Amino acid sequence: MFDKSKIGHSFPLFTAEVYRNKIHELALAVGDTNPVYHSREAAQAADYDDVPLFPTTATMFSFWSNPQRNSELAKIGINVMRILHGEEEYEYLASIHPGDVLTGVTTIVDGKSRKGKNGSLMDIVTTETRYTNQHNQPVLNARTTLVVRE
Amino acid sequence: MTTNTQASHKLYYDDVQVGNELPKLVKPPVTHLQLVRYAGASGDFNPLHTDPTVGETIGTGGIIAHGMLIMGFVGQLLSDYAGPSTLRKFGVRFKGMTRIGDVITCTGTVTEKYEADGEARIAGKVQAVDQNGDVKVVGTFIAALPRRS
Repeated sequence: MFDKSKIGHSFPLFTAEVYRNKIHELALAVGDTNPVYHSREAAQAADYDDVPLFPTTATMFSFWSNPQRNSELAKIGINVMRILHGEEEYEYLASIHPGDVLTGVTTIVDGKSRKGKNGSLMDIVTTETRYTNQHNQPVLNARTTLVVRE
Repeated sequence: MTTNTQASHKLYYDDVQVGNELPKLVKPPVTHLQLVRYAGASGDFNPLHTDPTVGETIGTGGIIAHGMLIMGFVGQLLSDYAGPSTLRKFGVRFKGMTRIGDVITCTGTVTEKYEADGEARIAGKVQAVDQNGDVKVVGTFIAALPRRS
């Protein structure tokens, strides 16, 4: 059962450096062969300053750059082995470039318990991670809804 | 891998009409190797996406793909259509599990054209379905586009 008193709780902030090679690796795994995601030269030839962010790049910030994510969720009583991903939403506020160093803060913004179709309880927990860059400019918000089966 | 024929094509606000459909993106079948590769790229090493024995134990009936991989496919659809770095908002709801061998097709429609924050923007809806038409992901997007003039 989700503890509603955790709504508003923020986790310790984390740092996410943006790596050109990781954008390349993500686009490769997805199978997007658009050359702008794979080399700076190709990106510049298409009038970008550098390799642009692949639309779902922020997923790497929350996993690679925040390895304590699961233990932080476990600390507030979420069974991380029973998590399913319900929703994901990105709000792109300003451009992000390779070499930028972002700071992320994740807050629990909503949470409730619901009965599933088979009568079992599930928790629905929404987090929001706000990223700012090294100039303290807000650049991206990521909203994640997790479904935790009990 | 799909070939990208749209890489150098630029989409202008003036040329988009409400109701326009995004060029459909049909991905090659999802493979186990792709999930291992995606785990390494994204940093999501939850074994239910890579280890068949874990998939059996927790009752998902084998390996299931990362939902975020399918969101990535839809991201590619949007990037192919509107261009890299044009997105202002992109959100999805995960509706069903994707398994190895599934062929995912991504589609979308423009639902709105408007101006906001000094930008010309389009909004639309997107979805990803498998070879049986089962819906995996539904979502919405907002993109900012250049004007011709």
